[in-house]
Amino acid sequence: MKRLLTFGALSVAAIALACGSAAAWTRTYAIEWNEPAMYYGAKTGVIDPGADCPDGSNHEPDWVQELIKAGYTPAEAKWLRDPANPSRSPVHGQNQMAFRGKDRANVYMNPTSTPESGVFKLVSGKIAEGINLDGDEKTGFISPTGEKGIDNAFYKTLGCWKTYRGPQRLSSGALTFNDSMREGAWTIVIVVSGKGADPMNDSDVDVGFYMSGDKLVKDGKGDIAHDYTFRIRPDAKYEALFKAKTAKGRIVTTMPTDKIMLRDPSYSRDLELLKAQVSLQMNPDGTLKGYVGGYRPWLPVYQGWVGARGPVIEALTWVRLPDVYYALRRNADYSPAGAGGEKTHISFALRVEAVPAFVMTPDASKEVAAVESYKAAAVPPPAVPAGTFRIIDGLVPDPKVPFGDSLKVYPVPATIAAATAQNGGQ
Amino acid sequence: MRYTSLLACVFVVAAGAVACSTVNKEGEKQQAAQTAAAPAVTHSVTVAARRITESQYRHTIADVFGPGIKINARFEPEKREDGLLAVGSTQLSITSGGLEQYYSLASSIADQVLDPKIRDARVGCKPADPAKADAACAKAFISTYGEKLFRRPLTAGELDARVATASAGADKTRDFYRGLKLSLVSLLIAPEYLFRIELAEPDPAAPGQSRLDAYTRASRLSFLLWDTSPDAELLASAKSGAIETDAGLKQQVARLIASPRLEDGARAFFTDMLQLDAFESLNKDPATYPKFSQAVADSAREETLKTIVYQLVDKKMDYRDIFTSNETFINRPLAAVYKVPFNSTAEWASHVFPKESERSGILTQVTFLSLFSHPGRSSPTKRGVKLHEIFMCQPTPDPPPNVDFSKVQAIENGTVRTRLIDHMTNAGCSSCHGLSDPAGLTLEHFDGLGQLRTLENGKEIDVSAKIGTTSFSGAQGLGQMMHDSPDVPACLVRNVYDYGVGRSVDYKQMPYYQAQTKAFAADGYALPKLYERIVTSPEFFKVVLPAGAKAPDVKSAAAQSASTGGK
Amino acid sequence: MTPRFNRRSMLRGLLGGSAVCMGVPALDIFLNANGNAWADGAKLPVRFGTYFWGLGLTDTPAGGTRWVPVKQGAGYEITPELASLAKVKDKVSVFSGFRAIGDGKPNVVHWSGHASILSGIAPSMTGSFEGPSFDTVVADAIGGSTRFKQLDISPSGKSLSYSTRTGKAFATPEITAIDLYGRIYGEGFQDPNDPNWKPDPNVMLRQSVLSAVTDQRQALMADVGKADQVKLDQYFTSVREMENQLAIQLQKPEKCEACVVPKRPEEGKRGASVDIVNANNKTMARLLAMAMACNQTRVFNCVHTPGSSETYIAGDSKIYHQYTHDEPTDAKLGYQPMTSKLAGLVMQGFGDFLNEMDAIKEGDGTLLDHSLIMGFSDTGYAKIHSLENIPILLAGGANGKHKAGQHIAMKGESVTRVSLTAQQLVGAPVGEFGAGAMKTSRPISEVMA
Repeated sequence: MKRLLTFGALSVAAIALACGSAAAWTRTYAIEWNEPAMYYGAKTGVIDPGADCPDGSNHEPDWVQELIKAGYTPAEAKWLRDPANPSRSPVHGQNQMAFRGKDRANVYMNPTSTPESGVFKLVSGKIAEGINLDGDEKTGFISPTGEKGIDNAFYKTLGCWKTYRGPQRLSSGALTFNDSMREGAWTIVIVVSGKGADPMNDSDVDVGFYMSGDKLVKDGKGDIAHDYTFRIRPDAKYEALFKAKTAKGRIVTTMPTDKIMLRDPSYSRDLELLKAQVSLQMNPDGTLKGYVGGYRPWLPVYQGWVGARGPVIEALTWVRLPDVYYALRRNADYSPAGAGGEKTHISFALRVEAVPAFVMTPDASKEVAAVESYKAAAVPPPAVPAGTFRIIDGLVPDPKVPFGDSLKVYPVPATIAAATAQNGGQ
Repeated sequence: MRYTSLLACVFVVAAGAVACSTVNKEGEKQQAAQTAAAPAVTHSVTVAARRITESQYRHTIADVFGPGIKINARFEPEKREDGLLAVGSTQLSITSGGLEQYYSLASSIADQVLDPKIRDARVGCKPADPAKADAACAKAFISTYGEKLFRRPLTAGELDARVATASAGADKTRDFYRGLKLSLVSLLIAPEYLFRIELAEPDPAAPGQSRLDAYTRASRLSFLLWDTSPDAELLASAKSGAIETDAGLKQQVARLIASPRLEDGARAFFTDMLQLDAFESLNKDPATYPKFSQAVADSAREETLKTIVYQLVDKKMDYRDIFTSNETFINRPLAAVYKVPFNSTAEWASHVFPKESERSGILTQVTFLSLFSHPGRSSPTKRGVKLHEIFMCQPTPDPPPNVDFSKVQAIENGTVRTRLIDHMTNAGCSSCHGLSDPAGLTLEHFDGLGQLRTLENGKEIDVSAKIGTTSFSGAQGLGQMMHDSPDVPACLVRNVYDYGVGRSVDYKQMPYYQAQTKAFAADGYALPKLYERIVTSPEFFKVVLPAGAKAPDVKSAAAQSASTGGK
Repeated sequence: MTPRFNRRSMLRGLLGGSAVCMGVPALDIFLNANGNAWADGAKLPVRFGTYFWGLGLTDTPAGGTRWVPVKQGAGYEITPELASLAKVKDKVSVFSGFRAIGDGKPNVVHWSGHASILSGIAPSMTGSFEGPSFDTVVADAIGGSTRFKQLDISPSGKSLSYSTRTGKAFATPEITAIDLYGRIYGEGFQDPNDPNWKPDPNVMLRQSVLSAVTDQRQALMADVGKADQVKLDQYFTSVREMENQLAIQLQKPEKCEACVVPKRPEEGKRGASVDIVNANNKTMARLLAMAMACNQTRVFNCVHTPGSSETYIAGDSKIYHQYTHDEPTDAKLGYQPMTSKLAGLVMQGFGDFLNEMDAIKEGDGTLLDHSLIMGFSDTGYAKIHSLENIPILLAGGANGKHKAGQHIAMKGESVTRVSLTAQQLVGAPVGEFGAGAMKTSRPISEVMA
């Protein structure tokens, strides 16, 4: 433990010091749901117009038109989008979709090789979920409960994108990644401990987020079962520690943590947050719900979507990925270098819901009694087995064509172009 | 040696049948002639044919052919009689659907046993030409494995019929091993394997009396203590007759009881006695008990068996302590149900129930509490009834017809105690409910899954009870009551004996039970001691001739041949 | 023959007289005391098939379901996506709420669901199972005496089967009706009426196994009490029933009433649009159904459309797979409308298939009554590749063993319970199925007669 003091960061040192003294109370949880905190402004549906996005979720691009704009002939564009086209595959997507930049550049790798579409709408509402990160009530949104100054530029930027937009626990992105987590892909546990006599109102509280190698377990109703036991698995990367206090059962940060990293429910997996804070409510039924917020680097967000197979993501989530790039770049609101620095980060909040659980030390010998860092005990994770897909430049090499060719522009076969030209006018 | 000749007399019948009804092979003729010329032999009587259970089948196959043999089949359902499946098994037969299952299973086992990659060691001999029949090699194989499966040496008729099958199969397929497979299948589907055929013979020490023959004795010991067929040593002691001497029997019993395999026997016995087969059909309402799952059910069953083996077999503890001990074993799913952390990296860990958990003894494990509850709520009546039936051998009669259940089913109405008061005061119901419900009500701090609670429908649950003049409270009070009840050890004695001999209570044996129970007490209620006393008592091998069976007698082989040969 | 006959001599001498496809003239010597063993032995054989379609059915967390009936038990109502089953509804049981349980293995999308249902083991990677698919176990149990132990078809034109004995090598299906026709009715096909017939030597081998057992009958029965005699009698009656069945198989097949050798089909269109797949599916179903009626096979597997189905509505640029993922739930309807439309179209294939089987009259019922077909998919809510509420249907009477026409809703139960039920309904010798959290020895007794 003591070795941790060599870390320079003030907050880490503070927490490490805190470990020396025993906690008076400890509550432990397992996250059963987590998703970017995206306030849905419509009353019904999952894409309907609402106060957040008056035009509803962003519409599906007309890909034939996009290809024509990129310089393909109408016949070629149509053929490329025809399900009977053997180069279309639900597995590989359609690699040709990538080459619509200037001089047929790969727009996933070079998003600025194509102009913004101009139709990627941002959130225009006043309400957002999240945390007042900068302490300034004048900047940001108003929370659904009336709290001012909520900083969540991530929501503002991507909140009308179908992937993120929708009622709580119902957006397509949240469903996909949480389903995966709930089926056992990963587990995050939360330890809350305090030194006061009343857990609900305690001025000296520590909060820790840790990985566990023990899978979540579903109960008979398909929900995540309460009261299962999870061992902390020390992780060199994913861990988050916070200094906090409680008031009426709400845990709020007293000093933001300079930098944390959590397992993100997304393709990119890494959720790095600077100036990270929490706002979590301990509920009477033993559950926990609230937010983890901070400033996350925006470029990895974009790269995460590209890395998940650009053509597939574009088609399934109704987005031109370059639009996402432009929007994130423009709306980024934080620079680690200070006010004048490049805005490489964007304010963000993750909504977290957790169930009561037993959390054990890594060797399972006892329940954790206090919040401390386990990073030093991390062992390198086992090698990840080769995935189903090998993704290069946002594309999956098509096994049907010689290696590498599908990562390049390849022409529409002349015969097919001619044949479709004949039918094309119908 | 003596036994070989005894067996031969039984088979003279078979040989005769073969001789007259089938291809008259030279060998069979000779065999018939030889047996006919045998000296005076005794005449055995089948006293029971007990279908072997699934676990006995599995253990036997693993013992005979090695643990790697996969067994996947649907076994026909068993039947509980007088509290035990072991007693019911004496009434079970094999239906045509069941035989098909056994046939397919036999075929799959034979394929695995004769897998070309490993068969040489198992077969033990090599055919002169693998594309042809080799009667000598086939005979060696069949007699070796036949003895293990039939739990006695094969008769000449049994052996020859299968050698013929192997030869004919080899000839037809031009493959010695395919022929051998057929003969092995015929052993595995034979009634002599699938049923424990228990034979009685005249008792040489007491003219006019019968006794179980040596191989039947060996099987009784082995199935009770190890839940499997007799091993080579036990068969040898049957062959030599040693098992029929006091010293020989004691030596074998000591060996069997000292073995770690006693755990298999204890598991099988308690699975039967505790009615753990009920897990097969256990359902819980997921809305009421979301934590219930198949994993929880399987874990609970294992928890109970692990606890019993640890306490009664490994530690040789006082049997009565299983009702009061706060030691148990848990895994991750059970820890969630018990709401305790699982502090181990292993799959299972020992666990001591703390005082505030209100748990002690196997009545407070998920097994008993959930098995004997309804899908959506607890049932003091079921728990009370099963408590008496399983542990005290006091079955409850079926409820009278035309009972008005409306009061008991209105569950929104207070605690279950107030609802059951009606039963206990209603004259028609009280004779049974007055006995079952008070005991069951003391377990009401555990819901239908076995989770701790203190309120039902917002009301404090009263877990006090009075049975006779004894007042007690809660699960711990009940456990102590069970611990102190003389009926509890007496019931175990009865169950072990009945399970071993496959017969239900014979009241003429009451003095025997009483004596055994007394001895059990003197032994500190240690299970291995109980086993030892019972299996070394003459009653364990006592012959009860079934209705319609003739008493075994001594005849001359010639006379017998004459009387049965023409059948 | 000696003046005194016995079963063995009779069996050896008998090579004629009864049939596989229809009731046979009674040979009294084989009848048991109650006269029922024969009838049982000559019963029409049970057939088994799996029928897979990709992308599940529509059931969204945001809205209502388009396939799960409200009513449970018998007499469930036909839901929109099950509309194609209306004609045979009383012969189909619907299973809802069942899930594949990964035991911590990742959800291998468009693969974990059916891999779990068929092999009972959650797979670690796409393209392979970690055990055999259970249709092969059924084929071993009931498919041994026909020309084809099993037949596999894939009407979508993709050469795809999920039937495997090793988990690695999968069966090669027929992908066109012409090929299927050639395989069944081309070279090697024997019209059941054809006098040119030879007994299967394997049957005789099985007989010799049984005779070794029955040889000992008298010895065993010599001195037993009444109760044991009854039990052992039952055992030997069972042996005799098996012998009867074998004897039947050794006899020249009599005319199969239902067997009408079909004409060679027209060359079908090739393509992945749902109208073409359904048309091919229907033609192939007819050929396959007749192959069963003609006793050429008793086990089949059909993959209507693959896991990540590329089928589409002709003229639409979006394929079904994409709709499931990208189509939002309509606020008013409460479901994904195009996805649901496509699900209905895909299910038309299953309805067609069952109707073809039900159109063949056989004995006192139809081929469907003497069959069990498990229809199933790879996923529940396809948008997120959910492994919960994967639709599974059991169709056909299984010779009276299946109490069909019920809706069984068991949320959270393992899909393997349905797989086990299917195996047991057709008499496969399987007491337990699956591994880990999907291991089960509990069939769904509600549908078992």
